Amino acid sequence: MPGSMMLPDLSSVTPEGGVRAAALARWREQGWPGHRVEAWRFTRLDRLADLELAPVTGLADSVNGAADRPADRAAAGIGAHVIRFVNGVVDPAGLSGLPGGVAISDLGTDEPALARLAALAPAGHPVSDLSLAVMSGGILIDVAATVETPVMVIFEGDDARASAHPAMLVRLAEGASLQLAEWHQSAVGLAAPLIGYDIGAGARLEQVKIQAEGADVTHLAATGVALAEGASIAGFSLCTGAALARLETHVAMQGEGADCQLSAIYMGRGTQHQDITTYMDHAVANCTSNQIIRGVLDDSARGVYQGRVHVAPDAQKTDGQQMSRALLLSRKAEADAKPELEIYADDVVCAHGATVGELDATQLFYLTSRGIPEQIARAMLIEAFLIDTIETIENETLAGLLRPVAEAWLAGGGGS
Amino acid sequence: MTALLEIRDLHASVGDKPILKGINLTINAGEVHAIMGPNGSGKSTMSYVLAGRDGYEVTGGDILMNGESLLEMEPDERARAGMFLAFQYPVELPGVGGMSFLRAAVNARRIEAGEEEIDQLGFVKIVREKAKLLGISDDMLKRAVNVGFSGGEKKRYEILQMALLEPSMAVLDETDSGLDVDALRIVSEGVNLLRDPGRAMLVITHYQRLLNHIVPDQVHILAGGKIRKSGGKELALEVEESGYAGIDDAA
Repeated sequence: MPGSMMLPDLSSVTPEGGVRAAALARWREQGWPGHRVEAWRFTRLDRLADLELAPVTGLADSVNGAADRPADRAAAGIGAHVIRFVNGVVDPAGLSGLPGGVAISDLGTDEPALARLAALAPAGHPVSDLSLAVMSGGILIDVAATVETPVMVIFEGDDARASAHPAMLVRLAEGASLQLAEWHQSAVGLAAPLIGYDIGAGARLEQVKIQAEGADVTHLAATGVALAEGASIAGFSLCTGAALARLETHVAMQGEGADCQLSAIYMGRGTQHQDITTYMDHAVANCTSNQIIRGVLDDSARGVYQGRVHVAPDAQKTDGQQMSRALLLSRKAEADAKPELEIYADDVVCAHGATVGELDATQLFYLTSRGIPEQIARAMLIEAFLIDTIETIENETLAGLLRPVAEAWLAGGGGS
Repeated sequence: MTALLEIRDLHASVGDKPILKGINLTINAGEVHAIMGPNGSGKSTMSYVLAGRDGYEVTGGDILMNGESLLEMEPDERARAGMFLAFQYPVELPGVGGMSFLRAAVNARRIEAGEEEIDQLGFVKIVREKAKLLGISDDMLKRAVNVGFSGGEKKRYEILQMALLEPSMAVLDETDSGLDVDALRIVSEGVNLLRDPGRAMLVITHYQRLLNHIVPDQVHILAGGKIRKSGGKELALEVEESGYAGIDDAA
């Protein structure tokens, strides 16, 4: 651990025994990943050294003008139930009036739930341990049935000195289904959400994540997914915000017939750094996973996609696909892609690919020759590059949340 | 009559290679001119230079449209000023919906002219009407621009764009290439419907057969980057009989 790295003030964090104390001990041992750690080769956390952060505890303050923010407007538009973390702390307002089939309880004191979250969380990821230990706010969402009302979890807060460590475990019972949106739009110093999706047999989670953090935020998200037999997740992340963001998702396919669609779009400009890291663990046979990643980078922005697909010896008939394409709009922009397949079974269909390219000059000329101003023509081509990815989202309600965010970025107003 | 397009001693290069070596050409409003020439004579270069494509550098002379020089104008500015190029090879735009493309183009012109943007419903009606004349199906209109279109469909789609944009100067680059007899007839009829006293057209072609359908007022023979010969529509027939060989020799 480099000595210059920011060490959060953990004096107020005193979990007594159990899962969180163990996590704190691991964190104290490991700390932030150093420069030599291969998984963090493309994404350095040096900028954390300049931040003086402390986890916020205590009740959430109400955020002024929340209703005018994009997330709240979008939630109202789809009639979603809103749960809110402010500076990492749960706003109690969202814990009542829940849709039928949904129950929420405190996560921080629920040892079995904490143990489950710890098991799902990306192993070796600093946020897995740090946010488990600190847990500025933690909720357990139990979904018992098919829930028609979408749930939106909004992560916000305007305390630039705050290190936000919200934690959330969503458990879907057998056969249950949920539509869930995570919307991250804070101005905290460090946003370190730890999230677990534990999806029971035959259950289905349709999930989108919008990472539209403020321009100075460091967003390090650790997400763990477990899929039981016949369970499915259709997840999609759209990343336009933050100075530095890494979304790391580990998926464990633990029951046969599980299906994981996990796609992402990242868009960066200025000096933004966007990292999408995934680990697909095909532990059993007859599961499918599919990842489509698209990146658009302007100015000196940088994008990273690291995707590892692991197929265990017994995981025959696995279908694992990953395809990453990045579009560079500037000579100074940079995209790194590291798709990896680790296959120990012999009867599988797996493929990966990664491309990096620029806007096609001939296509641009065709559009401008019709009188379309160049800036609009470029936006049309970028949108075209992204559109088929968004079109893979079956859930129109959730897909509809993403389009305005992407369009706002294209119009120059989004993200940073 | 006023000159809609006036090309004065135009020299142009692609990379370091001079392609156009002193073109002079005047087209008046209401006229249709044809440029014929062998492969490599500079026909396509001329169309791209008129439209302002990057990499086609004007090294001398001038191009005036309605008395104003185009040289300092970007392709989109030229288009909004009334220039239109029907591409020899229309470009596929996967993911770009046909209707939103057409509407963006039409609205760009309307905004420039200080008119209101056209609403979607009204626009769909206009497009359908014009598409029908060109045998373009609703299904084609719904698809991404030029994606999955046959050669003939692409050319018809070019003419549809021309009909919607109502340019004052239309350049048709080898619009006949890759068309069978029926498609050639449909495209030509579409073009002829757009002949107008206020509009000039420049039809660039290798073969005379297109000019049986789109009958030009004047024909120019381009070879080696210069116009070698100009005449009436009968000049096209002459070329058809004796080929370009004699003209090349004269150069």
